[in-house]
Amino acid sequence: MSKIILVGSPNSGKSLLFNRLTGLQQKVANFPGITVDIASGKLSDAPDLELVDYPGTYSLQPISGEEQVAVAQFTASLDDPNVSQVVCVVDVTRLEKSLYFTLQVIRECARHGKPVIVAGNMIDVLHRHNIQLEAAGLADALGAPLVPISGRSGEGLDILLDKLRANADRDDSPSSGTQWSDTPDVLLRGTAHQLAGQYGPRGDILVRTQSRLDSFFLHTGSGGIVFFSIMFLLFQSIFTWSAPIMDAIETGLGTLSNWVVPALPYQVMQDFTADAIFSGIGAFLVFVPQIFVLTVIIGILEDSGYMARAALICHRPLRIFGLTGKSFIPMLSGVACAIPGIYAARSIDSPRKRLLTYLAIPLMPCSARLPVYTLLIAAFIPNTTAFGGLIGVQGLAMFLTYFFGLFCGLLVTGLVSRMSEDNFTDVPFVLEMPPYRMPSWKPLLRNAWNRSKHFVTKAGAIILAVTIVIWILGYFPNYGASLGESWLGSIGHLVEPIFAPLGLDWRYGVAIMTSFLAREVFVGTLGTMFGIQSAEENMVPLVDSIQSSGLSIASGVALLVFFAIALMCVSTMAVVSRESRSHSLALKMFAAYGVAAYILAVITYQLVSLLVS
Amino acid sequence: MSNSLWELKAGESARITGYDDALADSYRIRLMELGFHVNEHVICVQSPSLGAPKVFRVSNTVFSLDDEVALHIMVDPAI
Repeated sequence: MSKIILVGSPNSGKSLLFNRLTGLQQKVANFPGITVDIASGKLSDAPDLELVDYPGTYSLQPISGEEQVAVAQFTASLDDPNVSQVVCVVDVTRLEKSLYFTLQVIRECARHGKPVIVAGNMIDVLHRHNIQLEAAGLADALGAPLVPISGRSGEGLDILLDKLRANADRDDSPSSGTQWSDTPDVLLRGTAHQLAGQYGPRGDILVRTQSRLDSFFLHTGSGGIVFFSIMFLLFQSIFTWSAPIMDAIETGLGTLSNWVVPALPYQVMQDFTADAIFSGIGAFLVFVPQIFVLTVIIGILEDSGYMARAALICHRPLRIFGLTGKSFIPMLSGVACAIPGIYAARSIDSPRKRLLTYLAIPLMPCSARLPVYTLLIAAFIPNTTAFGGLIGVQGLAMFLTYFFGLFCGLLVTGLVSRMSEDNFTDVPFVLEMPPYRMPSWKPLLRNAWNRSKHFVTKAGAIILAVTIVIWILGYFPNYGASLGESWLGSIGHLVEPIFAPLGLDWRYGVAIMTSFLAREVFVGTLGTMFGIQSAEENMVPLVDSIQSSGLSIASGVALLVFFAIALMCVSTMAVVSRESRSHSLALKMFAAYGVAAYILAVITYQLVSLLVS
Repeated sequence: MSNSLWELKAGESARITGYDDALADSYRIRLMELGFHVNEHVICVQSPSLGAPKVFRVSNTVFSLDDEVALHIMVDPAI
């Protein structure tokens, strides 16, 4: 099969073009550095052609490890006899930042005898401002055909497709830009600068609106108010907008369980289906709406161009803790789920700051912690109001718990940043500010759907498996007659001394142990321990059971501290290992956060016990 | 007279005169790739307070640079 390599500078609209041509669903956003992996797919209108999308880079002279890998992969692909041609995407509204890379690509392709087609993307923006691109002149100067296109509107894609087909059909497609074969980088840079001045849009017409909006969104007063308002709305939406769908899922699963379980022939089958299957599925399905809503909102912020402004606003405070403004997006994603947060950290070009961001993300108050916090706060914090009824005490406790996680994350990165010697070649903060755009709903919803599906298939499988194992251990050998005499009970009594300094008995010890695979399992396991079905869906009986079990408020607060710090998610560890290419980092994080969580929880237990005695 | 790019206030423009030796070659080259060439006209679009990165426009592209970078880009504001 004939392969076409797709390259371009960051935020040039490369992935949108890829999706248009292949019908696939690569993540696209109005933020530089979104494409971090190589993706490939067959062209929808020419299935014999395969399009391979490479991560964006500003030049073939890499300054970071990731760029080095991307550039090495690109140059290696030029030796592949199956690669018939290269498409280089250029943002015609900002030629200055694209043309140097384009000339480098043309030069490399000329050296390898591969033809190049330059796709002049975002031509619709120029048309909207009545600006004409002198495409023929620029193509002559580059020594490669240039097709003006719009990845958004689809304009010019038919012409591009015809050219791709024609090149693929010819065995002897002429290589492009042979005049650049021996030109050194320094001369290419000068030429790119000169061509951008000659053919690029003149004046500030394209950035006038952007500048006006920036003066509002980045203003010390209005910018700060907008930033905090957006963050407030974000958290509100996670809880309020998701609630009706979460309720619907709970009701649906409850109805289905009531219908299916009694129809089963044996008691053991009924118990297994009700407690292991429906409780297991319910425990994670209920969070899918929150992940969906959060992904949509983050997508809107990215697509509109605001995310880059948020990164700028946060840069200075994050720098105090060794991080960068670019860490903000991964950390914000980590509030929904650490896994997309870890993936999002790839867009941080500084290896040191990326590593520090990895350390911070698992401490963000992710949605898996939410049911644990909800349960413990409901059990130990009175449902009253303060400040004349303005603030709910339980809500305040939830806010403080969330803030505690964020504080711990920043504290860890600040300490590690100061303690570790700077062995890395650091990359300074230079962030391209994309133009403001109206978000496209279809890709946003599609991305949110894909993210939710990924959560269900990956995390869901683990949670369901754990629930089944816990159920088997708790049900046998006495067929659910007494949990204390079950296999699970035996394990619980064995580990009880470990959790005794937190004032916890064996049941809580077992629940903590099982939640090391996924935090939300804690609630389900406790539900099983106290003999309450579907504890994740209706926490009231479990709250009553915890309160009547004699657990002290000191133990409750200690548990909150423990869950805020401990890295209790195998999926997160697997993703950290993969992304950092270091198994030891994930293991060190697991051990360090586990020990810190335990020690701080013991200290908290002692302190709160002293205060309330 | 050369000042650093970081000293520009919102609305002020300048011409890039060179780079400080303290800036690593790879970053100097990257800045040039992005359009921060010597003799290029650069405008400070936003200068948020509290030491936040400033926003600069070169050609039709807008970049945000923090002081760690902008302090090493020398400019002549007299244009």
